[in-house]
Amino acid sequence: MAMRKAKSLQETQHYSAKDNAVGYLLMTPWLIGFILMWAIPAGMSIYYSFTDYNLLSAPNWVGFQNYVTILTTDTNFRQALFVTLGYVFVMVPLRLIFALFVANLLNKKHVGMAMYRVLYYVPSIIGGSIAVSVVWKQIFGNQGVIMSLLERFGIEQEYSLVGNPRTALFVIILMGVWQFGSSMLIFLSGLKQIPDALYESAAMDGATPIQRFWKITIPMLTPTIFFNLIQQIINGLRIFTESKIITDGGPMNSTLTYVLYLYRTAFTNFHMGYSCALAWIMVLIIGLATVLLFKTQKSWVYYEAQ
Amino acid sequence: MRKLWKRTTAIVMASTMALSLAACSGESAANSQAGGDTATAEASSAGEDITLRITWWGGQSRHEYTQQILDKYTELHPNIHFEATPSGWDGYFEKLATDTATGAMPDIVQMDYLYVSTYAANNSLADLTPYMEDGTMDASTIDADILASGNIDGKQIAMPLSTSLLTVAYSPTCLEAAGVEEPTSDWTWEDFAAMCSEVHEKTGYLGTSSGPVDDTNNFNYWVRQHGEQLFSDDNKSLGFEDDQITVDFFNLWKGMMDDGAAADPDEYEQLLALGIEAGPMATDECGYYINWNNYTTLMANVNDNLKMVTPPQLEGGENGLWMKPGMFFSVAETSQYKEECAAFIDWFINSEEANAIMMGERGTPVSSTAREYLINSGKLTEQQQQMFDYVDQAAPLCGDTPAPDPVGIAEVNQAFKDAAYSVFYNQVSAEDAAASFRQQANSILAANN
Amino acid sequence: MVGEHKNKRLSAVCFHVFSLLLGFLMIYPLLWLLASSFKSNDTMFHNTYSLIPESWDIIQNYSSGLEGVAGYSFLHFFKNSAIVTVVAVVTTIFSSLLAAYAVSRIRFRGAGFWFGCIIMTMMIPSQVMVVPQYIILRALHLNDTLVAMILPWCFGSAFFVFLIVQYMRGIPRDLDEAAMIDGCGRIGILFRILVPVVQPAIASAAIFAFYWIWQDFFQPLIFVGSPRNYTIPLALNMYTDPNSFNNYGGLFAMSVVSLLPVILVFIKFQKYLVEGIATDGIKG
Repeated sequence: MAMRKAKSLQETQHYSAKDNAVGYLLMTPWLIGFILMWAIPAGMSIYYSFTDYNLLSAPNWVGFQNYVTILTTDTNFRQALFVTLGYVFVMVPLRLIFALFVANLLNKKHVGMAMYRVLYYVPSIIGGSIAVSVVWKQIFGNQGVIMSLLERFGIEQEYSLVGNPRTALFVIILMGVWQFGSSMLIFLSGLKQIPDALYESAAMDGATPIQRFWKITIPMLTPTIFFNLIQQIINGLRIFTESKIITDGGPMNSTLTYVLYLYRTAFTNFHMGYSCALAWIMVLIIGLATVLLFKTQKSWVYYEAQ
Repeated sequence: MRKLWKRTTAIVMASTMALSLAACSGESAANSQAGGDTATAEASSAGEDITLRITWWGGQSRHEYTQQILDKYTELHPNIHFEATPSGWDGYFEKLATDTATGAMPDIVQMDYLYVSTYAANNSLADLTPYMEDGTMDASTIDADILASGNIDGKQIAMPLSTSLLTVAYSPTCLEAAGVEEPTSDWTWEDFAAMCSEVHEKTGYLGTSSGPVDDTNNFNYWVRQHGEQLFSDDNKSLGFEDDQITVDFFNLWKGMMDDGAAADPDEYEQLLALGIEAGPMATDECGYYINWNNYTTLMANVNDNLKMVTPPQLEGGENGLWMKPGMFFSVAETSQYKEECAAFIDWFINSEEANAIMMGERGTPVSSTAREYLINSGKLTEQQQQMFDYVDQAAPLCGDTPAPDPVGIAEVNQAFKDAAYSVFYNQVSAEDAAASFRQQANSILAANN
Repeated sequence: MVGEHKNKRLSAVCFHVFSLLLGFLMIYPLLWLLASSFKSNDTMFHNTYSLIPESWDIIQNYSSGLEGVAGYSFLHFFKNSAIVTVVAVVTTIFSSLLAAYAVSRIRFRGAGFWFGCIIMTMMIPSQVMVVPQYIILRALHLNDTLVAMILPWCFGSAFFVFLIVQYMRGIPRDLDEAAMIDGCGRIGILFRILVPVVQPAIASAAIFAFYWIWQDFFQPLIFVGSPRNYTIPLALNMYTDPNSFNNYGGLFAMSVVSLLPVILVFIKFQKYLVEGIATDGIKG
C-alpha cells in the first residue's frame, strides 16, 4: 500500500531533468557494482539453475528438471527449509527483543557505558571463529556447564543439548541470540535520533518510564525496528556459518540449514546447477517475506520525513 | 505489491539478458589465455623459464617443507619455477572446483581419493600414461595395486604419493590399567567388542573413540570381510545384495555404544571438535582408535606410547584390508606443461632429495626406493618406523585392491552416516536403516555414474 | 530527597552488577581465546573451561604465530588485510551513502525500481554468486589481486544503503528545502546538512563493514590464489589441517592479534553512535 501510494505520487509528478541527472550521477558507483558483481552473476546463476552444471564440465540444459526434483522428491530440501524457518521464527524475535532491551539500557548516561557496549558487541565479532566453535561445543557438550546444571536440577538427559537431534537447533538459535550486537548497534543509533525534548515534555506531563517507552521510544523507533526486522529475517534465512562450524548440519540433519544444504550440494557434491535452483527458490521465499513486510509498513512504521 | 512483483520480474529479465554478455566474455577470456599459454609452451621445450602452478592442502609444517622441496627442484632445474598455492583443508576443494570451472586449474594439484573419480569423469585431469611409457616417470617403484588406484578407465590420471592402511591404534597404558592384554593380528570383532567393554568397565574410559561411520572406509572393510564389494563393477549400485551385512555392522556398533564401550555420536562429535591431538588417546584415556597407519606418527607430539595392530578379523570371513592411496598428485588437463609436471612428480615421489626433506610427512611413501632410502637413513622416528613396519605386518591380511571410489562417494558417505546415526539415536531399526541406505545409495550412484 | 538519592544509587549498583554479569557471559569465549593463546600446545585442551593456563607458553605461541606460514610473516598478511579493509570500508560507505541519498531524497525516474534492486541483492546467497563473480574477475584479469577482494565492496553494499536510507527517512525534508532556499545544491545538502545528521548510521555501517571485510573468508579464498595476496583469515586457515598436527597455540595467538583492530575500530567508532552532533531541535 505504502509503496503503491508513494509510487503513484511520484508517477504523477514531473521528474525534473536535473533531478534525474543528479539521481543517476549519485547512483553511478552502485550501478557499476550492481551490473558487474550482481546482475551478470545472478543472470548466470539463473541460467545454471536450468542446467546440470557441475563446475568441472560445460553445463547442459535440463529445463525445469532441477526445480521439479527439488519440489517433488528432495527430502533434504524439505528438512532444510523446515530447519531454517524454525530458526528464523524463534531466533529473530528473541534477538531483536534482547537487542532492544540492552540498547535501551545502554542509552542512558552511566559510568562505563562504552565498556559495556564493547562487552556486548564482542560476541558479534568473533562469530565464525574456531575459538567460538570449540567453546560453544564445550559449553553445551555432555561434560559442559549447561549439562551439569541440568543434572543438578535433577534433569537427566541421554544426550547433550548439542548432540541431541531434538535440541541441537536450540543451541544454534542461542548462538544467534548471543550475537545480538549488530542489532543492538542499529537500535542505539536509532535511539540517538529521538530528541530528548520529547522525553522531557512527557516526563513533565507525568508519564512513567514504562509509558514513555511505549508511547515515545517504540513509535519513534519503528523505522529502525523495521530495518532490523527485514535485515534479520533476510540474514536469518541465509544462516550458514553457525550451523557449519558448530554442528555441520548434524546430528541427523537437525541443523541442516538451507544455505548449508545448497553449499554442500554445490561444492561437496558438485551439483552447481541444482544448487542454483535451490538458491533461486530461496530468493523467491525471501522476496515474498520481504514484500509482505513492506506491505505492512504503512500500518505501523512512522517516518518523520513523510 | 503488484508493482514490486513487476520490479522483481524486471530485475530477473535484465539479469538474464546480461547473461549472454557474460558467457561471451568468459569464453573469450579462456581463449586468449589458452593462446598465450601455447606460445610459452613452445618456448619451454627450448629450456626457457617456465612457471608451474601447484596447489596442496595441509598444515603449517607441510607448507614449509613443500616450499623447500620446490626450491630444491628449482635449484636443480633452474628454468622451472613454481607458483604455489598452499591451503588448509577447509576450502581447498571449493577453490579447486572454482578454478577448474574457469579453466584455471593449477598445473599440479594434490588430489584426494574422495574427489579423484569426479575430476576424472569430467576429463579435468591429464592422462600420465604417455609419460610413464616414455620414461619421464618411473612407476616401476610403485606397487601395481596402489598405482591402479589412480587409474580410471585406463587412464593414469593421478599418481599416488603415499599409502594408507586401516589400523587399530591402541594405548598400552590404558589397556594395562584395564587388565586387558594387548591385541594381536588374529583378534576378531567379538574380541574387539569384549575388550572395549572391559576397558570401559574397569577404567570408565571409552573402549574406542573413533567414528566408525564418518565415511564408508570402516564399512568397506567389513563388507570385504564378508567376501563382497561395497560398490558394483559399473558403480551404479551397491555391490552386495544382502542387507544383513549392513544390519550386523550397525548392530555391532550400536551394541558397543549402548554399553558405553564406544563413543556414541554425541560423544564422538565433541571429541572431534578438539582435533585428534586433543582427544582421549593423547592422554591414554581410551583403549582403541581406528584410523590410518600414520596415526601414531601424527600423535607422536602428544603421546609417543601408542601402538598399532591390524583391524579385527571376521570369524570365518575373508581378508578385507587393502592399500588405500593416501593422496595424489594430478596434472591438469588444461596444463601446457604436462611433461614438466610429470618430471617433477616423478622426482617428488622417487628422489632422495625430495624424500629427505619430506621425511614421510605425507604418509608411507609409495615408492620402494623412497622407502628404502628413508629406512636406511636412520632418521626415522620410532613411530615412523612403526608406520613402515605396519605395511609388512598387514600385507598377509590384504585382499584385492578395490576399484577407485565411484563419483558421488561424498554423497554416499553422507547417506551412510545419516542411516547409521538414525540407528544410533534409536530412531529406526537397523533393518529399516539398512534398507533406506541401500535405496539412497543406489539412487545417488545411478544419478552420478 | 535522601531516600530518592539512595534509591538512585541502589539502581545504579543493580545496573552495574547485572551488566557486568551479562557482560562476562558475553565475553567468555573471547577470554577463553585469550587464555588459550597463553597455554602450551600440550595442555591446551586439558580442562578446557579453565581460563588460567596450566602451563604458560606466551612467547612460543606468539612468536611461532608471527613467523607466519608459506614463507610470509604474519605481518605481511596483516598488511594485506589492512589495505583491503581500509580501502574497501571507505569506498563502500562512500558509494552506499551516495546511493542511499539518491533513492531516499532525490525524485528521479526509476528510484523505486533501483531501491527494489538494492534490497534484492541482499537476498541472493553469495555461495552461488561466487563462481560467476570469479569468472568476471578473471575476464577483467583482476583475479589473485588485492583489488579482487576490494571490488565486490567498493561500489557499495545493499545493507549499508538500506541502513542509511532508513535513517534518512527519519529526517524531515524541511531541512533540505530550507538549505535549498539558502542556495545549497543537492550534493551540498548531502555533505553539509545530511552527513552530520546521519553520522550514527555511518558509524555503525563503518563498524560492520570493517568487521565483515576483515574476517571475510569465502570470497577471498576463491578470488585469490597466492599466499602473497592472502589476508588474515586465509592465512589462519593454513595453520590447521584436521589430519595433521596443528599449532593451536600459534593459531589462537594470531586470532587474538587479528581481533585487536576490530575491537579498536569499534571502540573508536562506537562513541559516534551516541555522542554525535545533537539532533535536538531538528525534529521540532
